[in-house]
Amino acid sequence: MSEDTKTPKPGFLPIETNWFDRLFISVVIWVALSLFWFRFIEPLGLSIWICCAISAVLAAYIIRRG
Amino acid sequence: MRNGNRWLPVLFWTLISFLTLFPIYWLFVISVKPAVELFSTPSVILTDIYWQNYLDVLGDRTLRGYMVNSLVISTGNAVLCTLLGFMACYALSRFDLPGKESIFFWTITNRMAPPAVFLLPLFLLLTQVYRIGEFSLADTRTGMILVYCTFNLPFAIWTLRPTLDGIPKELDEAAYVDGASAWKVISEVVFPLARPGLAVTLILTWVFAWNEYLLAATLTNFNARTLTTGLSEYVTTTGTEWGIMAAISVFTLIPALIIFSLVQRHIVAGLTFGAVKG
Amino acid sequence: MHSKTLGWALLAPTLILLFFFGVVPFIYVLFVSFHQWNPFAVNPDMIFNWAENYRRVVFDAQFLASLGVTIAFVFFAVVSELIIGYALAQAFMRDFPGKAFFRTIHTLPLIMAPIIVGSIWKLMTTPSIGILPNILDDWFGYNLNIGQSALQAFTVTVIMDIWHWTPLVTLSLIAALVSLPPDPFEQAQIDGANKRQIFWHITLPMIRPAIIATVFIRLMDALRTVDEVLMLTGGGPGSATRYVGVHIFKEVFPRTNYGYGSAISVVVLYLTIVACWLLYVSLIAPRNTRKG
Repeated sequence: MSEDTKTPKPGFLPIETNWFDRLFISVVIWVALSLFWFRFIEPLGLSIWICCAISAVLAAYIIRRG
Repeated sequence: MRNGNRWLPVLFWTLISFLTLFPIYWLFVISVKPAVELFSTPSVILTDIYWQNYLDVLGDRTLRGYMVNSLVISTGNAVLCTLLGFMACYALSRFDLPGKESIFFWTITNRMAPPAVFLLPLFLLLTQVYRIGEFSLADTRTGMILVYCTFNLPFAIWTLRPTLDGIPKELDEAAYVDGASAWKVISEVVFPLARPGLAVTLILTWVFAWNEYLLAATLTNFNARTLTTGLSEYVTTTGTEWGIMAAISVFTLIPALIIFSLVQRHIVAGLTFGAVKG
Repeated sequence: MHSKTLGWALLAPTLILLFFFGVVPFIYVLFVSFHQWNPFAVNPDMIFNWAENYRRVVFDAQFLASLGVTIAFVFFAVVSELIIGYALAQAFMRDFPGKAFFRTIHTLPLIMAPIIVGSIWKLMTTPSIGILPNILDDWFGYNLNIGQSALQAFTVTVIMDIWHWTPLVTLSLIAALVSLPPDPFEQAQIDGANKRQIFWHITLPMIRPAIIATVFIRLMDALRTVDEVLMLTGGGPGSATRYVGVHIFKEVFPRTNYGYGSAISVVVLYLTIVACWLLYVSLIAPRNTRKG
């Protein structure tokens, strides 16, 4: 399979990714974290927005450095 | 190899074939027995054959209509998907398009999606959104042909990609150098070489469309209902009529069997997937 | 070499079609999943209710149970198919009389409609008319009743899936085995490698792309399994074989709570995509790093 020519760059992720892959990974993590938050952390009283904030920071980091 | 060894595989495969064939044979047994005999001790041996179940199915006007629908829809869909899949794979394999691997992956995603997920949105879109004046796609054969593309087109792309990647680019480059047009290259250089792969894709997409049940059951009411939905109608309304149910199953099975046995030798070649690359 | 416009033009019909019948429904189902919407209730309008539906999903015991049995089903089915399929593919690698004939027979179940397979196995296993319960009872005194035993129903669905789909695995592995060059095997034999070493160090790495492709396709299909199970057990007994697709078909839409149903659909879709993506990436990644 030929690699995508659009700026694949080596980052901390174990695979070669372009920006779109990293955005996808971020969204996947965001959804997983949100569902996890609903189940286990929200009943403790922490709002879901905290989860979204964490995800946003994580996403920014992944997209820049991944 | 020693001669004694030759018959061991035959024995082994006879056993495997028996396991494969017996359930199909049992379907046939049930379909040629009158209802009263079914509930006595099941027997594998057929004493006499009772064709009434088949005659009942053939005599049923609605079921005949379902058969025609199934034929039209699966043929139309298979041709469409193979054609579009061929074009798309040619583009993916020969052109340096930005983000094409992502496009490839996201196309395949369409096939991964569980069809149950799309039942409600497709139903609402077909009945209310995708319509021009009087013309609506809901409960039409055209509508079903297009809907089936959601799972068959990605499949066509998935199976045709290795075929087209396997045809050396040098061949069409040489033809371009000779001054051939793009159309000529595709139709006279690439197409003939891709024919085995295309044939397999056509057959498999046809069979998938013919076999589809869930979407057909939800998205059609009357005009475009297919044979598989007819089968389930019989089971829900008159669940005890095992003979009729078996007979419809046999009818659904036969065209697929015939087509498949005709092109069986191509199937292995077409299913190589990514095996040859690397 | 030549214009990209032509490339995009060739790709366009596919993308347009998949956009209208794949992407739009996806966006639509996503949109609905954030609403409370019951067209037959007192208030038939869509009411935006944030992520309330998702909040419900993660506590829905029925849905989580259905997810559990789906994972078990997919695991047992795909692993068995891979092992049996490989064994059969190897068995096809030597010459014997009637090889093509046996291969044709072996391929038969592949082209059968899932719903037909379901009805065949229903006819095989229904206690009153089926042959299996009778034989098992007469010969072994074993009572097979998939309408009552959850474990038996589950096992029969797995066996049905194996019966139906192993040929696909066999065929693609045959194709891979046939295309292997003989040199490494001869070299290994000269070096005195035993059969197991040859399998793990030569055969397996060389047919890995084919295995990946096959597992990828089988996983996708096994997760979508609805028709045959619907026909065979209807998801029962209880919820023993209520795989996610069956769960959506049987529970969600008849109850006309479209918002909540959409949320379940989205979660199922999400899990499918992530599972397949992880598999795809984890299997192609080592190849890429070796190249680079």
